[in-house]
Amino acid sequence: MLLGSEKRTADMRGAYGDALVELGRDDPRIVCVGGDTTESLKTKKFGDKYPERMFNVGIAEANIVSVAAGLAIAGKIAFASTYAAFIPGRCVDQIRNTICYPYLNVKLVVSHAGLTVGPDGASHQQIEDVAQMRAIPNMRVLVPADAVAVKYLIRMVASTAGPFYMRLARPSSDIIYADQSTAFELGRGNILEDGSDATIIGCGLMVNKALEAAKELKRKGISCRVVDMFSIKPIDNDLIARCAKDTGAIATAEEHNVIGGLGGAVSEVIGETYPVPIKRVGIHDIFGESARDEEIDMLLEHYGLTATEIVKAVLEARSRSRK
Amino acid sequence: MGFNMRYLDLKRKIRDARMWAIQGITEAGSGHPGASFSAAEIMGTLYFRRMRYDPSNPDWSERDYFINSKAHSAPGFYSALAVAGYFQPEELRTLRQLGSRLQGHPVRYSEHQRHHSVPGIEYSGGSEGIGLSVGVGIALAKKLDGKKNRVFVLIGDGESNEGQIWEASMAAGKFKLDNLVTILDRNRIQQDGFTEDIMPLDPTKDKWTAFNWEVFEVDGHRVEQILDALNKAGQVHDKPVMIIANTVKGNGIRHMANNPQWHGKAPPKRQTEVLLEELESECLIAPSIIAGERENYEDKIRKVEREGVDMIHLDVMDGRFVPNTTFFADTIKKLRRLTSLPFDTHLMIEDPLKSIQDYIDARCDIITVHAEACTENEFREIQERLIANGISPGIAINPGTDVPKWLYQCLHNLDVVIVMSVNPGSAGQKFMPEVLSKMIVLNKQLRQNGFRGYIEADGGIDATTLQQTYDAGARIFVAGAALYGGGDIHGAVIQLRHNAEVALERRLLNHATQLNIRADWMKARKHILIPYANELRIEEELHAIR
Repeated sequence: MLLGSEKRTADMRGAYGDALVELGRDDPRIVCVGGDTTESLKTKKFGDKYPERMFNVGIAEANIVSVAAGLAIAGKIAFASTYAAFIPGRCVDQIRNTICYPYLNVKLVVSHAGLTVGPDGASHQQIEDVAQMRAIPNMRVLVPADAVAVKYLIRMVASTAGPFYMRLARPSSDIIYADQSTAFELGRGNILEDGSDATIIGCGLMVNKALEAAKELKRKGISCRVVDMFSIKPIDNDLIARCAKDTGAIATAEEHNVIGGLGGAVSEVIGETYPVPIKRVGIHDIFGESARDEEIDMLLEHYGLTATEIVKAVLEARSRSRK
Repeated sequence: MGFNMRYLDLKRKIRDARMWAIQGITEAGSGHPGASFSAAEIMGTLYFRRMRYDPSNPDWSERDYFINSKAHSAPGFYSALAVAGYFQPEELRTLRQLGSRLQGHPVRYSEHQRHHSVPGIEYSGGSEGIGLSVGVGIALAKKLDGKKNRVFVLIGDGESNEGQIWEASMAAGKFKLDNLVTILDRNRIQQDGFTEDIMPLDPTKDKWTAFNWEVFEVDGHRVEQILDALNKAGQVHDKPVMIIANTVKGNGIRHMANNPQWHGKAPPKRQTEVLLEELESECLIAPSIIAGERENYEDKIRKVEREGVDMIHLDVMDGRFVPNTTFFADTIKKLRRLTSLPFDTHLMIEDPLKSIQDYIDARCDIITVHAEACTENEFREIQERLIANGISPGIAINPGTDVPKWLYQCLHNLDVVIVMSVNPGSAGQKFMPEVLSKMIVLNKQLRQNGFRGYIEADGGIDATTLQQTYDAGARIFVAGAALYGGGDIHGAVIQLRHNAEVALERRLLNHATQLNIRADWMKARKHILIPYANELRIEEELHAIR
């Protein structure tokens, strides 16, 4: 895959807001429910354009997702958005019983996932959502790596029946998919770099760090495959098994608790298909803390969410590899 | 109140739904009879009279939506759907069993869930406090689309503990959802006990009013009041409507009523037959306002309404079919404004077909004509017009008359047969006991030929003859002199009800005895039977039961 050489950054939320406006233009069934965070989630753009299709129900997350369920029952494609701390944090039951069980056309697109929330601190740093959402039957879980992926995935989510959970990060991030021709397919990971000695499977903001780590490892003479596993459920079983077989060692990288997230999902797959050593980079089952925006890198470093940690993880997994 | 409700047919359908629900619950060995029964009239009135839907086309775009937020009332909900025609009611017997479409809590029907649901279910419930938000979402979508569909949400008072109810309530107020009607099944009991002990909800009306809802309050077991409120709800603009339906949990089975113990417990299967009999034996008391002092009808109606009678019996006499003259449709029209109680109009007139339209226009709920006063063709036309206007048709026979042969061809749409036990024409006559044997035979013959309506006893009904006619098969009792004759209407109603209850308890106890579950039944029913022990001669037996 050809990656853009020119580095630029973009905001995932902005991409979501723009995509929603575009979708709304093409399909009158698109509606959006917000919870006093429409400015922050950039769904306000949609609301400004289509005020009659935007429902702000205030700070009431259980109500947000259940109203979205009602809209879906009446034939709408309902997007529901607020901070990841609160959807799913405050309404797992409603998501489970009211949306997933009846397989409703509700798309939960949330932002401010992971530690990069920054100054708001641990209460707002959602690190368990992927584990929770992944365990609910019928739910699909997406963690895009950049604004371009967001744009494509929102379109896919809108046109695919049934419930989705999509988590976005707060900060602007480097564009990975500068080459706009990349396809995003549900349940298919994207190989961003090929390699033969190990595979790094990442999601969200950690994909960028995985690419950095691969560069670093290349300098050490280790050839790494890098996979963007934006579709955590359904997950790309075949690709993961193939990576295990081809490269013999796997490291995962996610801005999420290592329990139950991407690392957990990949471990499950290789454990059942082609067991090879794996090392999970992520938050090791502890709560985060506040950091000013300019301190985010230090915060990530403190919690081990860096390219350096990924490099270490690859080396460790490789050291246990029999390949 | 002239609501096109075909009152007796509606009552019967709700009774049928209760009977199917209890069969499902006893077969399953679990379920929630209490909530199913407190909401039976609410769901029945919605499904059998108010909502627009098409069982053969469940996704019909113009349908009204029903969201059962208090989803533990599933057996009652399923049975309402079955009676409404969505599926065969016999399927209720698979409730909560492995492989059944009738899950413990209802599941939204879709291709995806077709093995665990039945068409007609819009919402997957089970977790409390969510359905109102879903109703808000549907109502918003319908407004957005400029559609006329209405959304009805049933919520419970226990689930009103959930904060989300109030989130949804605020949102419905904000969005001025006048296409959303919420009905609160206010049975005052939740799993751990009485709502006002666990988490007080009162002042309920004030709360909803404060949340910018239009609030109506009704007796949730009176279909006429529910319909009245639903009609009023249709006139409200720019506001959602809350109907607080005051109900009794477990209503319909006396030992379950208002008893927290029966929130989520199934009665033993061996008692099913007796329970069905109880549900089938509801008695309706219909005071005849021509009794007692002449005229003063308004006062007489107000007095008995306070005592909780079931309907008002209006004896129309024309001075030709019977010697006396009472009043006609114009008087009924005036009285109609007084009350929502069903008007049970008994036309003792010649050529009833000629003036039937006047009584339809006067908004009677039941209209009974005399077999002696019309031909088969005339009766068929009357019946047809009454049905078309949502009025229960009835036929009356004098003590000396048998039902005409042709009536057997009209049973399907016949809601009541009045068996006169005096010669009609004046109030205060003595009951003719020879009518009893006629009533027994007639009841049997009619049932054998498919009659599913009520037998109404009219003429000389007092506390004693009520029991006799009850045993002979009557379930509606016209009480005239017994109520208005003695000056103590309050005491008279209590006496009539008491005697009806004694008759019921005796009948159920006999049935239990036949089924060899007498002791079992008496144990379950002990606290109900105590006041009747003396009359039923079971004092010692009851005392011995622990």
